[in-house]
Amino acid sequence: MRNSGAVLILTFIAILTLQAAGVSPPGKPRLTSCRSPEKETFTCWWEPGGDGGLPTTYALYYHLENSETVYECPDYRTAGENSCFFNKNDTSLWVNYNITVVASNALGKNISDPVEVDVVYIVQPNTPEHVTAVVVHDEQGPFVRVSWEKPRTADTRSGWITLLYQLRVKQEKDKEWEEYNAGMQKYYNVFSLHPDKEYMVQVRCKPDHGFWSEWTQTTYVKMPDYITRERSLWIMITIFFVFIVVILTWTLNVKRNSVKLCLLPAVPGPKIKGFDKQLLKSGKSEEVFNTLVIQGFPPTTDYDNLLVEYLEVYDNEEQELVQDGKDLSEDCMKSKSPSDIDSGRGSCDSHTLLLEKCMDGREGSGSNQHQYSQHGETRWASTESSESQDPEPGSPESANGRGKTWPVVFPSPQPQPHHHYPVGAAKPAYHSVPEILNHLSPHAMSSNYHQLNHQDILQQERRFSKPACRHSQSYNQFNLDGIDTPAPGVAPSPSLEYVEVQRVNPENMLLLRPLSDPNREPEGSDCTREDYSKVKEVTSNNILLLQRDMSHQCVDDYSQADQCTTQQPPHPCKPAVHQSNSGMPQEAIRVMGNGYVDSTVLMPSY
Amino acid sequence: MNRLKVLQAWLWCVSLWPCWLSHAVPLDCKDETGSLTQCTSISQEKLLDRVIQHAELIYRVSEESCTLFEDMFIPYPLHALRNQGGNLCHTKPFPIPGSKSEIQQISDKWLLHSVLMLVQSWMEPLIYLQTTLSRYDDAPDALLNKTKWVSDKLLSLEQGVLVLIRKMLDEGILTSSSIFEHTLTPYNEQSPEVLESILRDYNLLICFKKDAHKMETFLKLLKCRQSNKLSCLSY
Repeated sequence: MRNSGAVLILTFIAILTLQAAGVSPPGKPRLTSCRSPEKETFTCWWEPGGDGGLPTTYALYYHLENSETVYECPDYRTAGENSCFFNKNDTSLWVNYNITVVASNALGKNISDPVEVDVVYIVQPNTPEHVTAVVVHDEQGPFVRVSWEKPRTADTRSGWITLLYQLRVKQEKDKEWEEYNAGMQKYYNVFSLHPDKEYMVQVRCKPDHGFWSEWTQTTYVKMPDYITRERSLWIMITIFFVFIVVILTWTLNVKRNSVKLCLLPAVPGPKIKGFDKQLLKSGKSEEVFNTLVIQGFPPTTDYDNLLVEYLEVYDNEEQELVQDGKDLSEDCMKSKSPSDIDSGRGSCDSHTLLLEKCMDGREGSGSNQHQYSQHGETRWASTESSESQDPEPGSPESANGRGKTWPVVFPSPQPQPHHHYPVGAAKPAYHSVPEILNHLSPHAMSSNYHQLNHQDILQQERRFSKPACRHSQSYNQFNLDGIDTPAPGVAPSPSLEYVEVQRVNPENMLLLRPLSDPNREPEGSDCTREDYSKVKEVTSNNILLLQRDMSHQCVDDYSQADQCTTQQPPHPCKPAVHQSNSGMPQEAIRVMGNGYVDSTVLMPSY
Repeated sequence: MNRLKVLQAWLWCVSLWPCWLSHAVPLDCKDETGSLTQCTSISQEKLLDRVIQHAELIYRVSEESCTLFEDMFIPYPLHALRNQGGNLCHTKPFPIPGSKSEIQQISDKWLLHSVLMLVQSWMEPLIYLQTTLSRYDDAPDALLNKTKWVSDKLLSLEQGVLVLIRKMLDEGILTSSSIFEHTLTPYNEQSPEVLESILRDYNLLICFKKDAHKMETFLKLLKCRQSNKLSCLSY
């Protein structure tokens, strides 16, 4: 009893001492994995749990599923440290192995958890061998043919084990591998690799039911530099299209003008007379702008020299007839109404003349007769003259100064008791019929040149039932001689009324027509759309030669007129001759290319 | 008199000979519509390939069924209880060797017969398994479907193997599974205990998986033994 007690105490003290020294029984080992490379043998590995400070030995024990006989591992060395290798004789298939590892040292032992293993389910083959990658040149393009051998230990020939292969490819710089399944064959063709690049290739295998092997060592292969068929096709397509584009561009360039005409139809640009584009391009702005500068424009002071462009008449009892004419006496000019010269009013009615009434002028001018031009078309300033372009010898206007007046109907600036009512360029003129009659009546002249033909629409309306001949009627009615007494049919009425100048016959007679005349031509006639007349040229005698437009609609008017009055000029195409006012500036009229006359030049300086 | 009887007997035998032969001919070919047609011949190689495909599929499905059952019904600590406590796979009429060397010594004939035997031994248990699995409350439908599918495929496999036997071995075999009847009776019992029945069913699935693997291996061995075209040399 004492001995056993002493032994116990001694053991206890020894354990305490040993524990104080840091030694203990071994830790529990653990079986990590068991693998069979060819379904014939297998190996199991374990990891130790800690040796407890003392040398520890490990032993592996197993027993089969249907027997209790425990066997120990036959081979601890072949597979390395902490492993157990079962050779062919010890391996049974389709049988569960119950394996445990026991770690033991001086202080004790420790047993691992048991593991059930069936060999056929733990097959993991070795890696494939002899991996080669070769570039094969084909008409389609080069590709890489990868080939390898089966792992040496696997018996695929008898069909004992069936292996499936897999390879993967990538470039050095890529992150992801491209994987291909090769099935059971031992080669694979890899296409669509980029030219002039180096690729890495690896292969692994797997049994039909089991684990994948490890990847082989990397095999490098370099693709040759070639142009892929696809790329060469794209290159050809690109070249072809570039060629087509070049041809198109060249064609467009050659035909650039016609293309321009087609795409951008010509827009008539503004033409400023005297504005030389070439000068502008050359960059001498001073010269260019000098041409635009008209000396003395805008008119400031000298009212006398103002070219009357239009005469404005107001149909209003309160308003007076204002004459704004250069040809009037100077008094008259000064009394120009403060109302607008350029009111624009006249432009709305293209056929009429605007007369500005001037009281003084009226008195002063006395029995001036008026000529009003009438146009079938709105050439308000044309008078019909003889066929020649020379100034009529008999025209009194020529005797007088030939100022350059734009469309001046009444040429003579002489202090004849004429009322000159030059017809403005831009404004049709209205005049009051009765007033003019009043003017005319005391000034019945023997001159044949100035006659006023007018109609008092209020009373004469019914007279002019024949539209074709109303001009002549009016003309005939108001003969020169009959001016003294107003035509019987004409009663001077106090009312003001607008008349329209229809034409001027060669004797410088204005053929008037009231605006409210129902027989007058419709406004919509094409003949009546223009306010301007084109100046064809200016002769040396300061005669404006106006161009009469040929228009078909107007032919009728003239032809009718021709039939009605013999005094009408036979040809409607004759250029009208106008005697210009002597008050006009002497400088030459510039005629633009399209026949327009530069009115700014004609404007007198004030 | 004796001669006459012998002659009659012989005549009867001769007249009944075609019946025996027809009895030995295993199958009638049916096309899609179900009517009986002349069987078109299939090459032995192709037939073997098809049989192998069948076996592979059966194995794969049985593996999946096992996993499903494990996840569903077997808690992890009990995994170690597999094949313990006497739950073993049912024994076969003749043992199958378990090492490669031994198996490779088996002849073609025996390989085929082994396969056939394996197939036939599992027909009944699979049907039983279907019924038991359907009795579980929360058995997944996938498991039930797979089990059913497997038992159907097994029938086709059996037919294929029989044709193979006839072609390769030139012998006719009566399709009879009478030799297995006595082994099937244990499965007709119903165990009252839940855990036991679960474990038993689990054991069944595991055993079936193993046997499916065996069938596949044998058939693949058989394939590579065919001398025509040196079939497995390139593999």
